[in-house]
Amino acid sequence: MDIILLGQQLLGYIPLGDIVLYLAPLNLFMFAGSLAFTTLIAISRTETQVEAGIGTLKDNEVKVNKDEFKIRRFLAIVCGLATAGAMITGDLFNFTLFVCLIGIVNIGIVSAVKQIDVLDAAFQYGLVAMIAVLPLFGGAAMILASTGSLSMLEIVNIPTNAMMIFGSLLLFLGVAGETGVAPFYATKAEMFRTPGSPFLLIIHLSSLLVIIRVIEILLIINKPF
Amino acid sequence: MANILLNVLIAFLVGSVLFGLQRKIMARIQMRPGPPVIQHLLHTLKFFIKESSFPKTAAMPFYIAITAMLCVIWVSAVIVGPVTEGSLLLIFAIYAIHKIVEHNAGSSSGSPYGKLSCVRAVFSASAEVPLFAVLIIIYFKTGTMVISNIINFQATNGPLIYSIPLAAAMFFVLILSKAPYSPFAITKGKDIISGYETEHFGLLRGYLMMSESIAWYMLLWVFLTVFIGGLSPLWYLVGMVCLSVIVAFINATTPILSPNHSIMMQVSFAIVGIVGSLVLLLY
Repeated sequence: MDIILLGQQLLGYIPLGDIVLYLAPLNLFMFAGSLAFTTLIAISRTETQVEAGIGTLKDNEVKVNKDEFKIRRFLAIVCGLATAGAMITGDLFNFTLFVCLIGIVNIGIVSAVKQIDVLDAAFQYGLVAMIAVLPLFGGAAMILASTGSLSMLEIVNIPTNAMMIFGSLLLFLGVAGETGVAPFYATKAEMFRTPGSPFLLIIHLSSLLVIIRVIEILLIINKPF
Repeated sequence: MANILLNVLIAFLVGSVLFGLQRKIMARIQMRPGPPVIQHLLHTLKFFIKESSFPKTAAMPFYIAITAMLCVIWVSAVIVGPVTEGSLLLIFAIYAIHKIVEHNAGSSSGSPYGKLSCVRAVFSASAEVPLFAVLIIIYFKTGTMVISNIINFQATNGPLIYSIPLAAAMFFVLILSKAPYSPFAITKGKDIISGYETEHFGLLRGYLMMSESIAWYMLLWVFLTVFIGGLSPLWYLVGMVCLSVIVAFINATTPILSPNHSIMMQVSFAIVGIVGSLVLLLY
């Protein structure tokens, strides 16, 4: 195997029809990280938030009830698996699908909570995520139109043209909105006030890992040299 | 294996002593005698022999595993950095996971102080991650993401700190944000006791402190390596001491910022740094 992506020696790839998974050290590290955290989420209890009561000397305990726990844990595991998939896919379209799935389940994880502020934040994040779908898929489509391929292993050998740069910008906008990173973080941070630490972890994990992956993808598409 | 163990041990010891040095310098500036330079190291070792207790409100086993995870990722950083001189992008990924662990170490205990630290960690990620994106500028300049190739590039073309100074300044702001008592240390501000560490006792606190020392060493190592070049161990030590002294001066003379001000200031640095560096690269 003599394919080098951003200085990383490709250790191998798994062709599953049009789903090509590629194995490079960075991708494997992030894939393993996502799976490790997903396993941890699957086996963990949630914490109990203890807050001082107003007008009384007693404490308020905020817990996650059983029904809420089940659905949020299921969605968190789906999010973890989607993140793991986004880390090692070598196909741009599959990457956008995984990112889209991450956006949907992120909203689901917090929308099961019965706290008005948190639901407001989830609603606003949902709007941003829905709007971001257009540039996300539009960017991937433009890159396909200008290169004739969605495979990163093919695109790495195609010289960059103006349409690929424009497609990349759209792709980045789509991922930023879908994962709720800056400048959309202010909305998303409010969602973290709810109890359910293991489930909230996956929201943060998926955002940051997808951002690193998209940087890798953008550098593969836009070769400055 | 011996090489990895040796490097991890060096990272832990040097990082701990540099933290101690920082506290000493800060104390002297503030006209206090301050603790001994090895205080942070002693403090860390002390926690390993203290009794461990766990809050009954904690999310088990998540609460315990998250501290072990912090240790594992920074040991991985030592392997990617000083041991193998691997990919900068991988160090970027490790830093991102560090942010996640910092966030969840706080929220998993159930303590309101930990929870506030967790929300602040999410906010601060929006400012720190763009600062870490300085590594992309290094890629544009050198054409490589591999640390050994960046060292070779600098051996031929001179240190990067001269050609992309704004990127170096941005990375320094990132280092500053990870220092205790810094104006940007909002996740561990004293208004929220010890932030995400508030409910971690005994062995778990020992692991957290050990990871912080390794993280500090690694951030300084990355700065020196990618902006100045491959140095001898003695010059690495001199460089790390110099950076820690500068950070101590800043920390001793500036108050901790409010979370919003901290984020706005870091984002401003990031915008100026990224745009300025790109302009410098074009000319």
